[in-house]
Amino acid sequence: MASFARSALLRQTLAPRGTFLQKNVGVSQVVAFHASAKKQILPPLPQTIQGTMNDPAPIPETHPSEGSYHWSFERLVSVGLVPLTIAPFAAGSLNPVMDAILCSLLVAHSHIGFQAAIVDYFPPARVPKFRTFCNWLLRAFTLTTAVGLYEFETNDVGVTEALRRIWTA
Amino acid sequence: MFSQKVAQQSLRRLAVQQPLAMRSSILGASPVAVALGKNIQTRQVTSSPNTEDPNQILVKQRLARPIAPHLSIYRPQIGWIGSSLHRISGVALSGALYVWATAYLASPVLGLHVESASMVAAMAALPVAAKILLKTTLALPFTYHSFNGLRHLMWDLGRGLSNPVIIKTGWTVIGLSVASAVGLALL
Amino acid sequence: MASLRTTSRLIAASRPMFRPAFARTYATVEPTPSKQPKMKTFKVYRWNPDQPSEKPTMQSYELDLNKTGPMMLDALIRIKNELDPTLTFRRSCREGICGSCAMNIDGVNTLACLCRIPTETKAESRIYPLPHTYVVKDLVPDLTHFYKQYKSIKPYLQRDTPTEDGLEFRQSPEDRKKLDGLYECILCACCSTSCPSYWWNSEEYLGPAILLQSFRWLADSRDEKTLERKAALDNSMSVYRCHTILNCTRTCPKGLNPGRAIAEIKKMLAV
Repeated sequence: MASFARSALLRQTLAPRGTFLQKNVGVSQVVAFHASAKKQILPPLPQTIQGTMNDPAPIPETHPSEGSYHWSFERLVSVGLVPLTIAPFAAGSLNPVMDAILCSLLVAHSHIGFQAAIVDYFPPARVPKFRTFCNWLLRAFTLTTAVGLYEFETNDVGVTEALRRIWTA
Repeated sequence: MFSQKVAQQSLRRLAVQQPLAMRSSILGASPVAVALGKNIQTRQVTSSPNTEDPNQILVKQRLARPIAPHLSIYRPQIGWIGSSLHRISGVALSGALYVWATAYLASPVLGLHVESASMVAAMAALPVAAKILLKTTLALPFTYHSFNGLRHLMWDLGRGLSNPVIIKTGWTVIGLSVASAVGLALL
Repeated sequence: MASLRTTSRLIAASRPMFRPAFARTYATVEPTPSKQPKMKTFKVYRWNPDQPSEKPTMQSYELDLNKTGPMMLDALIRIKNELDPTLTFRRSCREGICGSCAMNIDGVNTLACLCRIPTETKAESRIYPLPHTYVVKDLVPDLTHFYKQYKSIKPYLQRDTPTEDGLEFRQSPEDRKKLDGLYECILCACCSTSCPSYWWNSEEYLGPAILLQSFRWLADSRDEKTLERKAALDNSMSVYRCHTILNCTRTCPKGLNPGRAIAEIKKMLAV
């Protein structure tokens, strides 16, 4: 807050460097405040360097279940989804077993996708509590979704059949 | 000649003095003495209290550094725009699935009606234009995510990773997904 | 500033034959007298560490393209020489081999020395430092962490067994060919700083440039620490933050393909 006000003051008192600034000199402080309060996209923390410049960056521990196995599993799920996505268009809808497989693959695919988004956008160094909250929220929602889909498969007509009926309604 | 040289020398000596050293030497000796080179500079050990690690100056400077603008200034290109659409469409589809399935699980408690019969009835009650609009907005993220997903699987096999192919397949996916989404909406 | 600019323009316009010798650098070319001046606006990102409370700003400069060399670096050098000596940027070789002048020009990361100035004068050119880097001053980014990451992948030949004849480690032409497109990388950081994944997770994700280098050592037939190298990459952050956005391949000023290198690393790790 204080830095905004100070920068606006500085801009008015110090001789501005270029034409871009000169245009802004006459602008009132309020406008300058609003102009500089632009929201940053995923603002990182101020720069800190661990160790000296000559130390290598730390190497994370080997963790294949979060690395290569995870990646291969994700690709297998995606590849498996391809025929299961095409089949309902050819057959109209799927039998309950295929429908259940499709649902479980969709849940796995969605969970991995959401997880990737959380890891990408909420690094633990910047938002540790929010990161943990998101992870638990995701786990809870994945669970309710899986149970909900199971209920739907057992008590209702099945996902692909329901979609077909809604689409042609 | 000689006087010129002396003046030059003394001036140079004055100029060479650091401001800090000037101040400390002024306390002890006159500027004349400094200028004539008669002054022996003394400095007490405690006169430089700067025991700070010089690296700390850099550390402090780093903390004040701004981040160069990124997403807002990068040129919109089919590659990264398409990729962000892939994630957005994926999150939208999975989010819809999660919200609907959780709502179905909670419907007995909350008194919601999201079972297939009531949703079919709700859909049937809509006018034709609204139906097509709703279907298109549902189908477009699905078709885009599906076609672009195939592109991703192709890349994971190490194929189609040259610039012209990336651009071509990117636009192809957009064309295919829009066309198939409209086709699905008109079913 | 404005007065400086007008005087330099006056001198150039009125007495083109008697321009002072010191005003000529390789960035400035002798104007052809018949042509009309082609004024183009360059908007340059400015931030001064001596006034840390000030926000970064964009400053405009106007140059006559007839008197400027063909490349963006020429324009920047001319701005620094003739308009504003406080403008700060890195440059060295002016031929795309040192990687110092990497910056974001008109929205794309490239080397200023390899980037032609667009000839249409109506559109202004916008010059930023490499995206999502910590700015040291003006167009100078801090690449300390980038270099530390480079060091962390052990970018050198690791081999314990000597050759049978005690001479150098030799390679078949086929094995050598695998390193083409990898060894040419000059580590200018254009690709890494064009990668949104690297923007959000530069602390742990290695980024395209370092991964290309990593693959350069993984692909080397003489290296014997392939397993250790693979183990160092096999975690959620180092490689797998790559979501094949492929901005890296699109932007590389040397025409290399970091995206393909990362895809090959993923394939190596998966098998």
